[in-house]
Amino acid sequence: MTTATSSSPSAPTASIAVCLKWTAARDDAGADPDDDRFAGVSAADRAALEVALRLGERWGVPVTALAAGPAGAERTLRDAIAAGADRAVRLDMDADADSRDVAFELAQATAPTGGPCADLVLCGDYSLDRGSGSVPAFIAHHRSAAQALGLVSVDTDGPAADGVVRAVRRLDGGRRELLEVPVPGVLSVEGSVASLRRAPLRRALASRTAPIEVIRTPPAHHRGAPAIVTPYRPRARVMAAPAGDDVLARLRRLTDAGAAPARGETVELAPADAARRIVEALRDWGYLADHDR
Amino acid sequence: MADVDVDVVVVGAGPAGACAAIELARAGRSVVVLERGPFPGSKNMYGGVVYPRILDELIPRWWEEAPIQRWVTRRSTMVLTPTQALTVDFRSQAWGAPPYNGATAYRPDFDHWLAGHAEAAGAQLLCSTTVVGLLRDPGGRVVGVRTDRPDGDLRAGLVIACDGVNSFVAKEAGLYGPVDAANYTLGVKETLALPKEVIDERFGVRGREGVDIEILGGTGGVNGGGFVYTNLDTLAVGAVLKLPKLAAQGTRPEEIIAGLKAHPAIAPLVEGAELKEYSAHLIPEAGLAMMPKLAGDGLLVAGDAAAMCLAAGIWLEGVNFAMASGMYAGRAAIEALSRNDVSTEGLAGYERRLSETFVLRDHRKLRRAPHLVLSDRVQHLYPELITSVVERMFRVDNPNPKPGLRRIVESERRRLGIRRRDLARDGLDGLRSFG
Amino acid sequence: MLAVIPVRAGVLPAGGAEAADECGRRVLLVGESVEHAAAHLTGEVRLCEAGPYRPGAWAAALAEVLADEPIVVLPASPDGRDLAPRLAAAMDRPCIAGATRLSSTTVVVPRDGGRTMHTMPAPAAFVATLQVGVRGVEPHDGGATVSWLDLGLDRRPIGAVDGGLADARVVEVLAPDAATVDLAEAGRIVGGGAGLRSPEQFEQLAALGVAMGASVGATRVITDRGWVGHERQIGTTGVVVSPELYLAFGISGAVQHTSGLGHPEHVVSVNVDAHCPMMQMADLAVVADANEVLAELVALLVPGAAAAPVAVAVAEGARG
Ligand SMILES: Cc1cc2nc3c(=O)[nH]c(=O)nc-3n(C[C@H](O)[C@H](O)[C@H](O)COP(=O)(O)OP(=O)(O)OC[C@H]3O[C@@H](n4cnc5c(N)ncnc54)[C@H](O)[C@@H]3O)c2cc1C
Ligand SMILES: Cc1cc2nc3c(=O)[nH]c(=O)nc-3n(C[C@H](O)[C@H](O)[C@H](O)COP(=O)(O)OP(=O)(O)OC[C@H]3O[C@@H](n4cnc5c(N)ncnc54)[C@H](O)[C@@H]3O)c2cc1C
Ligand SMILES: Nc1ncnc2c1ncn2[C@@H]1O[C@H](COP(=O)(O)O)[C@@H](O)[C@H]1O
Repeated sequence: MTTATSSSPSAPTASIAVCLKWTAARDDAGADPDDDRFAGVSAADRAALEVALRLGERWGVPVTALAAGPAGAERTLRDAIAAGADRAVRLDMDADADSRDVAFELAQATAPTGGPCADLVLCGDYSLDRGSGSVPAFIAHHRSAAQALGLVSVDTDGPAADGVVRAVRRLDGGRRELLEVPVPGVLSVEGSVASLRRAPLRRALASRTAPIEVIRTPPAHHRGAPAIVTPYRPRARVMAAPAGDDVLARLRRLTDAGAAPARGETVELAPADAARRIVEALRDWGYLADHDR
Repeated sequence: MADVDVDVVVVGAGPAGACAAIELARAGRSVVVLERGPFPGSKNMYGGVVYPRILDELIPRWWEEAPIQRWVTRRSTMVLTPTQALTVDFRSQAWGAPPYNGATAYRPDFDHWLAGHAEAAGAQLLCSTTVVGLLRDPGGRVVGVRTDRPDGDLRAGLVIACDGVNSFVAKEAGLYGPVDAANYTLGVKETLALPKEVIDERFGVRGREGVDIEILGGTGGVNGGGFVYTNLDTLAVGAVLKLPKLAAQGTRPEEIIAGLKAHPAIAPLVEGAELKEYSAHLIPEAGLAMMPKLAGDGLLVAGDAAAMCLAAGIWLEGVNFAMASGMYAGRAAIEALSRNDVSTEGLAGYERRLSETFVLRDHRKLRRAPHLVLSDRVQHLYPELITSVVERMFRVDNPNPKPGLRRIVESERRRLGIRRRDLARDGLDGLRSFG
Repeated sequence: MLAVIPVRAGVLPAGGAEAADECGRRVLLVGESVEHAAAHLTGEVRLCEAGPYRPGAWAAALAEVLADEPIVVLPASPDGRDLAPRLAAAMDRPCIAGATRLSSTTVVVPRDGGRTMHTMPAPAAFVATLQVGVRGVEPHDGGATVSWLDLGLDRRPIGAVDGGLADARVVEVLAPDAATVDLAEAGRIVGGGAGLRSPEQFEQLAALGVAMGASVGATRVITDRGWVGHERQIGTTGVVVSPELYLAFGISGAVQHTSGLGHPEHVVSVNVDAHCPMMQMADLAVVADANEVLAELVALLVPGAAAAPVAVAVAEGARG
């Protein structure tokens, strides 16, 4: 088994963990916290699970699915077992626990000593609700492991022996970088990296009663301050004075700046009329020649 | 019955499937319920009123726990012409107390709750799983199902098809004759949000009291009927539309609901409401005339899958028929399994039970009703006849004296070109069905 | 407030200058050829030459020297998003990701897929990323006071585990793929979002694009659904584009999407919700079903496309 400080490139991988963030999508006041009907995990977490399963198969090592959350999260874990995860662990926490507490507990649970151990941890790149993408980095920190976040592809066909995972991360301007992430490491993936396999019928049936290990966690350390929630409105942008001689054009450039409030015409039309109105506008703006009609 | 994975596979976790599974699981049979949606009721749409009294047998004091929106204490039947409305309004406070009568409920809540009872009794529920085929033995007996999952075959002693209208399983098993589009209506519905106080005030109800309005006329040129139901803070406004007419007219169902909502009798009820959801679903409405064979070797069919929905104008009931038929299918299955005979004959107890109870009795009694209610005369001529007669009755046309009722009816009948013979026959049909 | 800006090959990342402005032009540039990247910055600029990007090693080293900076802001560029939470962890502080406004008293973060805005009192100390493109850059005058910070990061071996801190090794930087370039340089773009009903609708969008000489882009919801490849995702974590014309179908206009959109001359938005940000941004905002409008547009503009079928609802209603 590798340990956090081992640097041997050929150390065998002992196990893989995947962190699934369960979100109760229906947040009506008074909704039952254990009501799992509308809950789910993000496309990114499903992709992470699929990558974990492929790597687990390729390397011949077990895959553990972890979720920090209330009992409602167990359905997600059962779905992971159905798809092929070997075991499932729920860290008993509030659904709205702070990212730092969540990451700390996940790091503990995946640490090589104590708890279910894992040398490679897979996450989604950000969770549906709070979407900070910070949990994987916090786990990497606690585990002193390498991180590679927001990956757009992971090579799941590489050999197990060389102790690295090859993956591609996006950079500015459409460039990407090909990385070799040493194991132990933490990867987070975008949703389209892989689509989760259908669980076979018998596994799916058996998963309904499969045991879920539950780990009690200490009371939360951190509490975020309560937020004032308002509908999204873009922030006013600061603009450099536009260049050019034409005053009107300069003014227009300024007032058109991305976040200016409603700047155009709003129309409510039947589909056919709407299409005609759009074509008309495109023609007025000079994007369509007349023969396009 | 060697070599089975499970005693019974129930296809579909709607009201029919859940009740079948409750019965079987309580009798100690192993049951797997397969459901296409992500959870029971997730995709199931209907108008909005359930009549759960049949649950007395399965879940005593169900009203203490069922996820209902409002208890129906007011039922109105409205006859509409473009500018007129005649409403018969009935209110019963007794319907607002145990054992209750009808209730409005959301299907994602109601079906989920009912299926929860099946699971609690020991049934295994597997969602996001679609049945795509039947397994048969060389003799043609159904011995299981094929699902869309990898390694998706499940062998069972008996299959109960509760997969709703247009049942894939019943058709696959050859229990249906040729399918006629005329036997189906299209149900369309909008869910409209309004604050609870506004609904209470507009509909004259308090607390958990609710209203059920069934509407004849008001669906434009398309034969059908409409409804308005109250939930706690939403209204369900919808229409049930005859398919061939709808297709022929090229009218969109949304336009028909829009027309209904704009009717002077409905508009004040829905004014200012915010559209939450639009949905559409087929209804098997021909009743007895379209029912399939209810059993085959190794197979039972219940609920909408067996066309047991009762859609006849002032009635729109399906959930209660589904729950009852599911329950009886469960009982018949228990019997057949313990006698080790799941042949068509071995399963005959199912149809016998249905015949002894409201399930088939109501259908027999009302077998002419759907046809009658959706006929052109009832749809396009009678609402006008009734409303213009009433209009003339109540019109004070001084200095002319009030005319007699019989004379008004006669002159309106003639004005609308309704033959006396047709009127008499429809009247008799109506009396036989509804009387 | 201090802006920490990771630099690759002497180039400021997208949003770097904005982060600097948000922090009153107190900046620390860390990375490769930082002096080159500092050329256009004014204010108080510190430079830390640290070699190629290494989040683990950088975060550990920076955590020590930044201990007295209560607020550290990074741009929500790819490297900024990667480094910020690691730095926050090393400093034992909360990480506030993708904020649209930051100050020592309040922070504003979009949540729920960009539908809502959460305004919170600022914690005593935190690390944050600032969404790219949300504030713009003020005109700069005055010079920079430049100082150097040596953490020895550039002299440590790359890709090795050091002091228990492993980092990934960059094997190769790949040039933008053809499809990305196509989108990034397109003058006209048609974009599709979650309002589109099915992959077929997305194909119609592509057909419309071909007919109009426009490239096709999508929101993350669509790329997550797998209807189109990643290289087509417009936004913070996708491709940053700058078309003249943008046609948005069923797109809500979440900040992560619009911040990758540049400043199109003309925007058309088709959406059932008249009040979402994409509609607010539009020159022509059409309140209608995007799927149906798309079908009509295809019928009008795509040669040989048949007129849209009318009463399809019956068939669709058959299975619900
Ligand atoms: C517009 C409209 C209004 C109505 N209003 C009312 C009303 O007010 N009151 C009332 O009592 N009734 C009403 N009904 C009728 C009522 O909805 C049905 O009669 C009732 O839902 C039938 O129940 P069921 O269990 O047989 O089928 P369903 O409720 O249709 O359940 C079938 C289940 O099977 C699943 N399924 C289908 N195929 C498969 C497959 N191949 N594999 C796995 N699972 C599958 C489905 O997902 C579904 O969950 C209305 C119907 C409509 C369309
Ligand atoms: C760290 C992070 C990075 C992200 N990066 C990106 C990124 O790079 N690019 C990106 O796009 N997103 C990104 N996102 C996601 C982003 O927050 C939004 O969730 C996403 O952009 C929303 O996409 P959408 O507009 O398609 O969907 P939604 O927000 O769900 O909006 C759908 C819209 O369609 C409308 N609609 C629904 N039905 C119809 C209909 N029939 N006709 C017309 N309109 C209809 C609705 O009114 C709504 O406005 C990121 C999020 C995070 C947290
Ligand atoms: N409560 C949790 N339980 C398990 N995994 C989590 C949890 N919260 C976050 N994660 C993982 O961390 C990723 C990023 O989440 P976040 O930092 O919340 O945006 C998610 O996609 C999950 O893989």
